[in-house]
Amino acid sequence: MISRKITLLGPEGTNLYILLQFIVFSIISWFTLFTSVELIEFNTGNILSRQIVFSLIGLSVFFATTYISIENLYNLINPLFALSVSVLGGLLFTAPILGVRRWYDLEPLGLPIFIQPSEFSKIILVLFLAKILSSDMNKSLASIGILFNLFLIFIQPDLGTTMLLLIVTLLMLFLSNIQLRSSVLGLLIIFSAFFVFLELNLLGEYQVSRITEFFTGEDFSQQQSRLSVSSGGLLGTYFTDSLLNDVFVPVQTTDFIFSLYSRNFGFFGAVVLALLWVLFFFRVNRIIRKTEINFEKYLLSGLLILLGVQIFINLLTILGFIPLTGIPFPLLSLGGSSVFSTAIIFGIINRVFIENNIAV
Amino acid sequence: MFNQKRLEYTFISFLIILSLILLDIFQLQTQEFDSTSQTIEKQNLDKFYITAPRGEIYDLQGEKVASTTLVPHLYINLRKVTNENLTDYKQIVQYNFPELLSSEINEIFNSKDILSLVIDLSNVEYEVRNNLLTNYDAFEIFDLPIRKYIQNELFAHTVGYLGKPNNEETSEFKNALGNNQVGKNGLERYYEEYLSGAPGEIIFEGSEIVDYKQPIQGNDLFLTIDSLTQSVVKESLQQGIELANKSFESPNVIKRGAAVVLDIESGNVVSMVSLPDFNPNKFVTGISDFEYKQLDRDQSFNNFAIQGLYPPGSVFKVVAYWLALSENIFPEEVNNKDSNIDCEGSLSFGFDDGSQQVYNDWKLDGHGKVDLREAMKQSCNVYFWDIALNIWRNFGNTEAESILQEYSKELGFSNKTNIDLPFEKVGIIPDRELFEEWKISRPGLVREEGWLGGDLMNLIIGQGAITTTPIQVANAYRTLLTGENISPTLNKNASKTINNQINVSDEFVQFLLKDLNSVTNKGGTAHVSFSVLGNKVNDIGGKTGTAQNAGDKNNTSWFVGIDSVTNPKYVIATVVDEGGSGSAVAAPISRRIIQHLLGYDITPVEFGEVTE
Repeated sequence: MISRKITLLGPEGTNLYILLQFIVFSIISWFTLFTSVELIEFNTGNILSRQIVFSLIGLSVFFATTYISIENLYNLINPLFALSVSVLGGLLFTAPILGVRRWYDLEPLGLPIFIQPSEFSKIILVLFLAKILSSDMNKSLASIGILFNLFLIFIQPDLGTTMLLLIVTLLMLFLSNIQLRSSVLGLLIIFSAFFVFLELNLLGEYQVSRITEFFTGEDFSQQQSRLSVSSGGLLGTYFTDSLLNDVFVPVQTTDFIFSLYSRNFGFFGAVVLALLWVLFFFRVNRIIRKTEINFEKYLLSGLLILLGVQIFINLLTILGFIPLTGIPFPLLSLGGSSVFSTAIIFGIINRVFIENNIAV
Repeated sequence: MFNQKRLEYTFISFLIILSLILLDIFQLQTQEFDSTSQTIEKQNLDKFYITAPRGEIYDLQGEKVASTTLVPHLYINLRKVTNENLTDYKQIVQYNFPELLSSEINEIFNSKDILSLVIDLSNVEYEVRNNLLTNYDAFEIFDLPIRKYIQNELFAHTVGYLGKPNNEETSEFKNALGNNQVGKNGLERYYEEYLSGAPGEIIFEGSEIVDYKQPIQGNDLFLTIDSLTQSVVKESLQQGIELANKSFESPNVIKRGAAVVLDIESGNVVSMVSLPDFNPNKFVTGISDFEYKQLDRDQSFNNFAIQGLYPPGSVFKVVAYWLALSENIFPEEVNNKDSNIDCEGSLSFGFDDGSQQVYNDWKLDGHGKVDLREAMKQSCNVYFWDIALNIWRNFGNTEAESILQEYSKELGFSNKTNIDLPFEKVGIIPDRELFEEWKISRPGLVREEGWLGGDLMNLIIGQGAITTTPIQVANAYRTLLTGENISPTLNKNASKTINNQINVSDEFVQFLLKDLNSVTNKGGTAHVSFSVLGNKVNDIGGKTGTAQNAGDKNNTSWFVGIDSVTNPKYVIATVVDEGGSGSAVAAPISRRIIQHLLGYDITPVEFGEVTE
């Protein structure tokens, strides 16, 4: 393991762009949450302060991850994957919260926290895929493991995350020299499986109603979020506050935060946020090109794809193009699990950068 | 093998998707901007607020004092009630709930709210509920938290009660949204924000419910009071009041009194009782106008422990006692605490303005040879008047003439103790300035000459214009014993708030305790009331007070007790309005409370000796 000195800006060799972007995204999130309707009305100052605490813990998670060498990480992948599958399996034995088994409630341990393990299993899945694709592991055994993992998330039920991981898996397969034909075949099988589930009534009512509501075009929260985005105009209402009549959007601080962001900062804000993410992808792509280790290439591309697809699913949901999914916007949405898992992704990227010691 | 080309294709398709998304956002924010603004303005989203379950309140032992139960209630969505189906709905309600009067039913349907409360469903069978919900569109069921005060009257003034918010409270408390009940008095009011949680929201678009946000439960509160002690204190006070009624020819029926027990070390309120009291559960079910007025006439809603303003009488002498020892100001011709004056039962003296006055002690044949200790023990007025005269003659009409008032204020008199209860009163410590002010604002109340030496003499024995609350008196004694004036609290988890610190030596505290001890022992004013304790009284201390009132009102009966002079733990302040002599009524009440606090057998309150 390469030992690193700690400096004011984290471990020696830390990629300042990555660190800076993490901080900038966090601050954007704070400014957005500050204008939340919930915040003003109930004066629960804790929405904002909670997110600030999450961001600060996230920063230490970022540094902590940076200290794990890629070699150690590589060796940990199989046990981590096994752990992730068992933790997801364990959810089946918990009491459902709001009709789904998606969280571990740590209340009995004296912590007022809900943990959403699928947030972390996303990363572990990408790690696992990167390892399979870059090594000569038994592919068929591994595929069964991955499908089982997806199945456990599917029956929580968490349709959004299942779709997300499916797309990530397929895109990562696409990156290897796999035949395009087999990818298309896989896609077809999965889609037909979905309709079989639908036909056999194996989906929860809640899922079905979300999907049917979407096709009848009546989803209230999506209507409202489109209105909210639209009301931002070119420059947003953050500095003018011209529209006193606030637009009500359900769960606006978590999954729908982009509608609040857009309202506040308008088209200008959306472009700035998009550019920041494009810049981030561009930077990381340079690391991918420089590294000569196949595992690292797969890993970083997988993590980028994970972030990118999450953002797309989130935005397409808010704009009403796809049914409600419950995928948060990385680093913008309120929520500890999401912030921490994104911090881990940033940390891994930073570690790969340090090990390759690329001059930026 | 890793295919960098394919990665770049992926990124390029990402860029294309991103651009399409931005394009959509751009269209939304430019072309549709105007129509959106109109839609938003027209959009009529209404909110209906559902009360959150309030935090529960527990006593020191963890017993529930105030509980919250969620009870399903039937509501009717009035936006779905039209002219066509109005009579149908009225009939359905009438048929299913025959206990509702037709006037009540009209009230339900005339409500201005979107959702109107019909009835508590806790005793309604499931089939009936189910039938209403499935067959009639306008009915909704929501859980409503119901407050219950388990100990009924026992915590009426400390815990307080809930009620509909007035205009001021609506803007002050978040829970008042949608006219939900808020804390009206006591801890329910002081800790309103902490206890209330946040109301749930039901969002309406037109007549349809489009979203529901769960209420957030409030926090639980843990008291410093133990229910058993509280009930012993209440019984003792009741017995004392009964006794006073039996023993005195009072022009008015004696009803009012208060008792406060403070933990000396922490300032925690161990017990606080005010009489007469009321059952706060009456406010939950709705109190009749008649009943309310009756309770109000008896001043039952006042917490006399923090709102009762009484002249303190001789319990106030402790201030002069502290002043004498700190400043070495004793009666003239006396220069230390052990030197005597000769009390002949009256004091005649001349002031600088030439007036000659005679003041009579309560004991007309005099206390004989009296030093500072004997003056406390026997509550000799002449000794303290002499101190006042000494102050007046040396400092009268100078800056320093208010030294007694300054010492009083250090102990917290005429200031809030900042206890965690609302509407605390501050009382009055009169001085020249106040009298000058009153000459203008309340003419006729004070004489033309303004502040005179006689007023200071009155003040030093706790008489005249001075008023104090029982909590102030109790806190003043514990301040003298600890050197720290801190805010008393009823919340076990409250942090300590220091109002101010005073300079008292250990030596002084020992003197004071010893002299308070002499009051309950042989020769002391409270000895008769405490004699039932036998030799255990050797460790107990206190001070009696009997304050005269204007008009035909009987004297105010006071006693401040200390449970132990070797290891003081509690200070107990008891007051009975118009209760007569402090040594006869308030002292035996305190004695019974002390018996309980020390774990002795409790004996009934018995009439003590009339002194002062």
